[in-house]
Amino acid sequence: MSIATQLHDLLRSGIHRIGELELQTNVCNFPYVICHSADAGLSTESAFGGLEVHEGPADARELSTYAEDGTYRFTKGQTNLKRGWVMVLENEQDLLLALDQFYPACVGLFIAQKGGILEIETLRDKLNRQTGMYRFARTISDTGAQKLVQEICGPAHQCAKKILWKLDADTPLDESEASRFNGIPGDLPESEAIPLLCREACNHFVAECRKAAKAEFEAKAAEA
Amino acid sequence: MSIAPKPTSALLIVGHGSTENPDSSTPYFDHADEIRSRGLFAEVCCCFWKEEPSMREAIYMIDSDEIYVVPDFISEGYFTQDVIPRELQLNGPTTVVRGKTFHYCLPVGVHRSMTELILRRAKEVAPDVDPAHTTLIITGHGTGLNQNSTKAIRDQADLIAASGAGYAAVLDAYMEEPPFIAEWDKMSPTPNVVVVPFFISDGLHSYQDIPVLLGMEDEVGAAASQREVFRHNPHHLREKTLFYSSAIGTERLLADVILDQVSDFDKLHKSL
Repeated sequence: MSIATQLHDLLRSGIHRIGELELQTNVCNFPYVICHSADAGLSTESAFGGLEVHEGPADARELSTYAEDGTYRFTKGQTNLKRGWVMVLENEQDLLLALDQFYPACVGLFIAQKGGILEIETLRDKLNRQTGMYRFARTISDTGAQKLVQEICGPAHQCAKKILWKLDADTPLDESEASRFNGIPGDLPESEAIPLLCREACNHFVAECRKAAKAEFEAKAAEA
Repeated sequence: MSIAPKPTSALLIVGHGSTENPDSSTPYFDHADEIRSRGLFAEVCCCFWKEEPSMREAIYMIDSDEIYVVPDFISEGYFTQDVIPRELQLNGPTTVVRGKTFHYCLPVGVHRSMTELILRRAKEVAPDVDPAHTTLIITGHGTGLNQNSTKAIRDQADLIAASGAGYAAVLDAYMEEPPFIAEWDKMSPTPNVVVVPFFISDGLHSYQDIPVLLGMEDEVGAAASQREVFRHNPHHLREKTLFYSSAIGTERLLADVILDQVSDFDKLHKSL
């Protein structure tokens, strides 16, 4: 069964949220309508409550690239999605195309996880494959990496993804709000949302590992 | 070149991407949109080294069992020979990974049709200059990591020099290895100089770093999309007249080069 068809079935089963997006069906004669979850009330009013209407998935990338204050959303799991718009979509293929711009691959990752075929990558795997200036990131200590998770990840730091990875095969993440987060912003039950899954550390985390590794190196050099 | 529709195959466009520059991935998505609009593939997706979705996430967003992978990169070098095959777990032109058949095409930058795109871009940016009094410089990154990284640019310079386009000189120059683009005025024998960045996007390098190296700007500026006023040609610098174009990859026709690489792959590796 295609990913789009499985997405359609997920919506029929009661799922209506992914990340900060509310997913609605059959609104104003459109099979699918998506908007910021905080605008969900407006989107069901006549003329979509004055929200800016985008027809088709083409504007999804533009809507998801910048936050309200104009800053670049360098990872898509950030909880600073712009409000004030609604996107109407003709079919589940277009819906999937739009969602893959807002939350790249996240529908597919969730379906793979449900099917037991999602492969997770440890932080060490990810860091050991970095090249160029990021090669140094691999020298970060376990302690430093655990600290970074708590300083960078999770909803307290504007990331809505559920971390699936460990430091290495034998080293899980320390208990924290970030490591416990279930990938669903807001207070929705898990049966009503597609969680955002973090199967590998993102490039922002890698960049921060590099900075922390350099700081560790310099601190050691200063001690010597 | 026309390509036969592949209604059961996916096209996966691979780019570099950036967590710092919002414009870095724009051309890849533009190329994907353009190809998607033509209805040639069942699916058209993008994935990145430094942006989401990652190369290893891409397989989870594709239904098709057959996937053509085209590196939207300008050279056949470190990324296309080392990083992409490793990330996608490819071991040759065709590899079966977790039940899906991946066909690994050559990067867009090495395709012969790039020559025409460079000449078009040079003409657009400096329509009134006489090529006989003009040096055309194709500029790229350059890296010590892989000697092939500059080959595509050297090849294009040679092809254009031999093409009869009439430029007094056609040169290659780089950010991080000689000949250095920072010395553009010293290497150019003519009063007019046209510089075409052989990059896919107007990202950090072509829009922010190289203008500083050329002397157009004193310090690295904001990203292209965050400027109200784009640079205006020509620039009168170092006693020469300089024309600086946007990156070659922002040319919408690059979508055709992606399709050309798929077509060339089939000719070379598949019996039709």
